[in-house]
Amino acid sequence: MSSLNAPIATEPPAKVVSARRQSFLLNTARQLIRRPLSLIGTLIVIIFVFLAIFGPFLAPYDYDEFIRDAEGRRITREAPTLAHPFGIDKDSRDVLSRVMWGTREIMLLPGLATTIAVFFGTTIGLAIGYYGGWIDEIASRVLDSLLSIPALVLALVMLGTVGPSKFGIVIVVVLLYTPIVARVTRSATLNLRDMGYVETARLRGESTLSILFREILPGVLPALAVETALRFSYAIFLIASLGFLGLGVQPPSPDWGRMVQEARGEYAQAWWSLWFPAGAIAFLVIGVNLMADGLRRAFRYEGELR
Amino acid sequence: MFNNDAFLKGRSGANRLVFTTAILMILFSLSVSAATAQGGGTLRVGLNEPINLDPATGSNDPEVLFNRSIYDYLIEIKPDSTIAPNLSSEWAISEDGLTYTFTLVSGVTFHDGSAFSSADVVFTYNRLKEIQSPALGLLGEFEVSAPDESTVVFTLPAINADFLYGVGSRFASILKDGTTEPNVLVDGDAPYANFNGTGPFVLTDYSPGENATFTRNENYWIEGQPALDGLEFIFIPDSLAQIDALRSGAVDFIFKLDADQVATLEGESSLTIVQRATNQHPVIRIRADEGALGADVRVRQAFKLATNREELLDVVQQGYGVIGNNDPIGPLYSDFYDADLEQPAYDPAAACALISEATGAERLSTDFYVVDSFNYEALATSLQQQWAEGCIDVNILLRPENVYYADTEWLEVDLGITGWGDRPVPQGYFTEAYITGGIYNESHFSDAEADDLVTQAAQTTDAVERAAIYNQISAIFAERGPIIIPWFSSIIGAVNNNVQGLEMHPFPGQTDFRTVTIGG
Repeated sequence: MSSLNAPIATEPPAKVVSARRQSFLLNTARQLIRRPLSLIGTLIVIIFVFLAIFGPFLAPYDYDEFIRDAEGRRITREAPTLAHPFGIDKDSRDVLSRVMWGTREIMLLPGLATTIAVFFGTTIGLAIGYYGGWIDEIASRVLDSLLSIPALVLALVMLGTVGPSKFGIVIVVVLLYTPIVARVTRSATLNLRDMGYVETARLRGESTLSILFREILPGVLPALAVETALRFSYAIFLIASLGFLGLGVQPPSPDWGRMVQEARGEYAQAWWSLWFPAGAIAFLVIGVNLMADGLRRAFRYEGELR
Repeated sequence: MFNNDAFLKGRSGANRLVFTTAILMILFSLSVSAATAQGGGTLRVGLNEPINLDPATGSNDPEVLFNRSIYDYLIEIKPDSTIAPNLSSEWAISEDGLTYTFTLVSGVTFHDGSAFSSADVVFTYNRLKEIQSPALGLLGEFEVSAPDESTVVFTLPAINADFLYGVGSRFASILKDGTTEPNVLVDGDAPYANFNGTGPFVLTDYSPGENATFTRNENYWIEGQPALDGLEFIFIPDSLAQIDALRSGAVDFIFKLDADQVATLEGESSLTIVQRATNQHPVIRIRADEGALGADVRVRQAFKLATNREELLDVVQQGYGVIGNNDPIGPLYSDFYDADLEQPAYDPAAACALISEATGAERLSTDFYVVDSFNYEALATSLQQQWAEGCIDVNILLRPENVYYADTEWLEVDLGITGWGDRPVPQGYFTEAYITGGIYNESHFSDAEADDLVTQAAQTTDAVERAAIYNQISAIFAERGPIIIPWFSSIIGAVNNNVQGLEMHPFPGQTDFRTVTIGG
């Protein structure tokens, strides 16, 4: 870990830092695309991010629009054709359009939840790792106890009692992932806090906040980047599972998990309404995981991966 | 059935011996099935496991079907809602309509060999009162007595036009006098001693979570019945798995398929899909009391005009049913159904006009609560699009059954979908849900004229007069009622073609297996 960001006793001039940061990013990117698997993963993620931003504009139909024939009768369960490459579902809707619209939702909710969880987790992890002592003891035990709750069970209990909502889903994911991120950050911080350059900053009289975020955080970043990517992929899966269980968003929203659930009963008649959303979930999760793996290799991060 | 496992192993070529064994097993099983085909055979039914086995309270299809196989009813309610004799060969109703006298058939014995008599009937109906069986909904108040061995007399305090439907209700399986724990397993040599009926089949094995096996009652009181040698209930909780079991030949009969799932069975030449019209229906109801969404009758009418029932039946229900009106009396109640009442038109422009007239705003926007059963989710998404054309925007909120009905939510919300099951007579729908103070009056509908007519209907025994009253109620509901009924759904079952004589009841649990045969 300590070999990543070579410990430097005194703070280098600002210019050098930004140059170094730039080459660090470039280097990471280069490492990512050098390996075929992580290249594929990165490409998949880029495609889905693109769809999340532009999907609704590119989709040929609205997600809740009924497809009708020339006489105005609704078409149901039509196998994939050129006009509807992913077919039409039992409720007369274009599956391709629904998958495209759904991308935004499936990226946005996990993205938001992961960001919040990483923010809180990092802050907590940095603080307890740096202070150590009894603060660390107590906080670590609390985090451990939170970690011992099975993810789906907590989600079901919470959303079952307060009722399904986007806000509730975000809260659940944040509650579940903050402790994990905090623990990873804490162990990375433990390795860094006794480094010479941190000691120097302390002797120089820098404030604790400044030490945490300017001295230690950059060293923790590689571990954090990998962790964020992993959390993101888990969050996608968790939120899709909640949609499948009927605790996600309400119909007719094009939630992929919900789409799989709706199509489950008719895999024999209309396989396309099941396969395409299920495939989209699989592709996205695999893509994010491959990218996370690429990041890990790029940083030569060998830390705990959960 | 041959052992599938052994057959597959043999094909992989790993072990010739296993392969030969498999072939032998196939030949053996073929000869066995050929042998049984000559007799009545065993009918295998795929269904959910019955949970409440007490005949007086078990109400769902598997429970009723289980009891119906072991026990008999005093009188039968046939699939077409007519009443036929059973353990009672004939009955007479007094001039004033307050005394019902039933004559019992003779020579009937219970499975334990004891003779059936009027005391058993008196015990059964008194027990229904004692444990407050749902059968009382139709039976109302009554006293039952037995002047002699083969006669039973019911005395009523007031006229009850639906009393016979109560007597033949699915809860009224005739028990042996003094039975304290009907259908409770006992430890020891005779575990099924408490499953003691006069019915066509005798329970021989019950494995919770797996199956129940019955054999033919050799002493059954109808000559030549049951035609089957035996009956087996195989408990399969998932409806998709039931379909797979039927398709693979593991069961012969399943019922209550989702309209969505029926298509998976089309094109299977060895199976027949059975459809039976029922009065089961989804109710789209708009709360109609002061301050609620539908307080203004114009808003209620706008919802009706913006609903394209034909498309809903066609696409969502896939044609399995008939179009509904605005009241719960479906065409199945042939006498009481008003066939001349004009079918509601679909006119979104008129709906828009009514909305702006009633609210002063161009569009109406509200939450729409939908219970997550049958295909109601698809119904709601279709309605959302249709109503949008009629200037009504709704936000769908899907609720699991156990949440929606457990709470009072379903009785409180402004706009919702509720599922209503089949009833042999329509009176119950009104007394429960559409009169002032009805226990399930979810729409809070209160109309003095309708209340009055409902009370009249209960006391009118003449079918023609009663029909006239129901027709007036239908007209009121068309004009200002709080509900929309998109369709009356058919119950769909599927049966293997080697089964003969199976006529599925609109309440599938009441299907009569006595004349069913297998093979040929």
